[in-house]
Amino acid sequence: MLVVRPVVPADLPALERLAGDAVPQLTNLPAHRDRLEERIVRSRQAFEAEVAFPGDEHYTFVLEDLERGEAVGTATIRAQAGAVDAYYTYRQETLIHASQQLNVRREVQTLALSHEVSEASLLCAYSLDPRYRGTSAESLLRRARLMFIAQYPERFASLLAMAFPGYLDEAGESPFWNSVGCHFFGRDYQEINALAGIRSKSFIAEVMPQFPLYLPLLTPRARAAIGREHPDHERALSEMLAEGFMRSRHVDIFDAGPVIKAERERLQSFRRAAWHPVRIRPAQALPDAAPAMVANQSLGGFRCVVARYALSPTGQLMLSPEHAERLGVGEGRAVLAAPLALPGLEDEEGGHEPGYDEGEL
Amino acid sequence: MRIRPIARGDLDELQALARETGVGFTSLPDNRDFLAAKIDSAIAAFEERQPANRRNYFFVLEEEASGRLAGCCAIEGEVGHEVPFYHYRVGTLAHSSAQLDLHRTIDTLFLCSDHTGDAEVASLFLRPEYRGGDRRQQRNGALLSMMRWLFMAEFRDRFPDKVLAEMRGVFNERGRSPFWDCLGANFFPMDFDEADRLTGLGQKSFIGELMPKYPIYTPFLSEAARACIGRVHEQTRPALAMLKQQGLRWEGYIDIFDGGPTVEAYIDDVRAVRRSRRCRIEVASGGDEAAERPRWLAATTRMANFRAAWVGRGPDEEGGIRLTPAEAACLEVATGDLLRVLDTEE
Repeated sequence: MLVVRPVVPADLPALERLAGDAVPQLTNLPAHRDRLEERIVRSRQAFEAEVAFPGDEHYTFVLEDLERGEAVGTATIRAQAGAVDAYYTYRQETLIHASQQLNVRREVQTLALSHEVSEASLLCAYSLDPRYRGTSAESLLRRARLMFIAQYPERFASLLAMAFPGYLDEAGESPFWNSVGCHFFGRDYQEINALAGIRSKSFIAEVMPQFPLYLPLLTPRARAAIGREHPDHERALSEMLAEGFMRSRHVDIFDAGPVIKAERERLQSFRRAAWHPVRIRPAQALPDAAPAMVANQSLGGFRCVVARYALSPTGQLMLSPEHAERLGVGEGRAVLAAPLALPGLEDEEGGHEPGYDEGEL
Repeated sequence: MRIRPIARGDLDELQALARETGVGFTSLPDNRDFLAAKIDSAIAAFEERQPANRRNYFFVLEEEASGRLAGCCAIEGEVGHEVPFYHYRVGTLAHSSAQLDLHRTIDTLFLCSDHTGDAEVASLFLRPEYRGGDRRQQRNGALLSMMRWLFMAEFRDRFPDKVLAEMRGVFNERGRSPFWDCLGANFFPMDFDEADRLTGLGQKSFIGELMPKYPIYTPFLSEAARACIGRVHEQTRPALAMLKQQGLRWEGYIDIFDGGPTVEAYIDDVRAVRRSRRCRIEVASGGDEAAERPRWLAATTRMANFRAAWVGRGPDEEGGIRLTPAEAACLEVATGDLLRVLDTEE
């Protein structure tokens, strides 16, 4: 059984492995023991803090496979993308250059450094053991965070953002970095990414060109990479778009990966989430039903699992004793449930059938 | 050979000159109405009927015997008032961080109008048959270039503090500007010649409307385009050398179309302005003959009937200067008049 829960100190070795396995390597999840230790401490502080409005809290979750007894995935929410440092993105803008004298009107595209996304809550640092790819574990880990946010709205901004790793070529090179950042740093993409993990990304951003860049002056390959996700993240992006996120004008400053945004109230999981009292039934007695994410009502003891969305005629959610135990709920306690399937995603090529497969090998 | 202000009767000859100048010579387009207006404006300037910001002193080099025009040159009193005067300023931005062990400087091009209000020496053109070969000894190019300093020295109060000269940039063997192809072509829906032609006609507003307003980081330009920054056209090197000799320097401003350098100086610091002297004329025949290679440049001191030419000898110890009757006739001066004289080999 798989469960999403807050990270604990014992997860450190698993985190290290997940950070090292992330494809591509994530700047916000550096495979660096000290940084990961800090991440765990910081997350505990966030869960324990009394929070009235979003600030510098980082909530880190892990996906635990109970059969293995270890964390096989991790994901983080930053309550504010740029709470202490600014969160830098490039914003795609269109300038109109028009001349009455010549009777011409030209649209010129630029990329301008922006701090606009700093205010949003950021879903980030997602890494899943490759053995669980293409299973419902992937969706659970990614979207359990939404179930958490739904319960503690005061801790997060109403605007959510998510940055996807940008396009890299077969050689692992970022055409965007090679045409832009490289001029200013003289280091290749992997180097700067590693450096950004150890330092902060905004620390590096401060040395990025401060004036807008004119797209016609970038190489065609770099232009083609703007707003394009890493091939391994296409499906994840599709899922979040189906969830209700929208592509934005913002892209990552290093690799030009897309930044998506959403008003949280517009997300499927928010709109369809509902509270239900729990009724415990033996697993074999549960009726067949579509899968749902089910989360308990506990801040520090947050748990989220995938279970059947089986409702009794009186609106109680029927859970197996194992699921109830994982969630730490007894008969009559309320849980938050939202359908795992997203409208419009099932038919998509490459999309996986949401189901009960939990990646057991 | 002598210099005089342009006159109405010069229109046909001026247009013939304009046809010979070719690409990259923005200030002299082959456009009869434009040239006629330029002549009218110049005449008004010499007659002191123009406000400071519209004075365009346009001179021609005339072969007295035939009355043919061998070349021309001009001084703009103050640029940038009527129509904007744009440059790129080549700047440097440090991208540095001790913690990242990063120490880089990035060259940037900033669009600016820093030279608004400065004087400009411009439009120098000498017909091919009057330069090089047998004509080299006549120093016609030097006459055209340097007489302007005597004019400015003589009428110093008509000019501002600074003077500049825009030099033609690099074009490749196919006659294309690599700088334009990499930068301007992305922003202007026209080729270089057309952009250049409109600029020459003074229709510059499109530049402001279409040019990128933010600085350009030069690493985004092609290597060929970067190589054009501040570099002059092969044929412009002698002209640049002559200006540099007078103390004009490249301070990092370039043409926005071809990347050619703009050189500049404070007028009072220009060598010829500092060194030219006024002398009292004595016309007398006979005596020593003029040297083979002209050395002494002379200019008259009245604006309305301004003349400049090479003369055979310099001032004497009392500060007088002796002219032959032919030289006096050429300059249209008589004994007792004043002449501004420069030893160009000092």
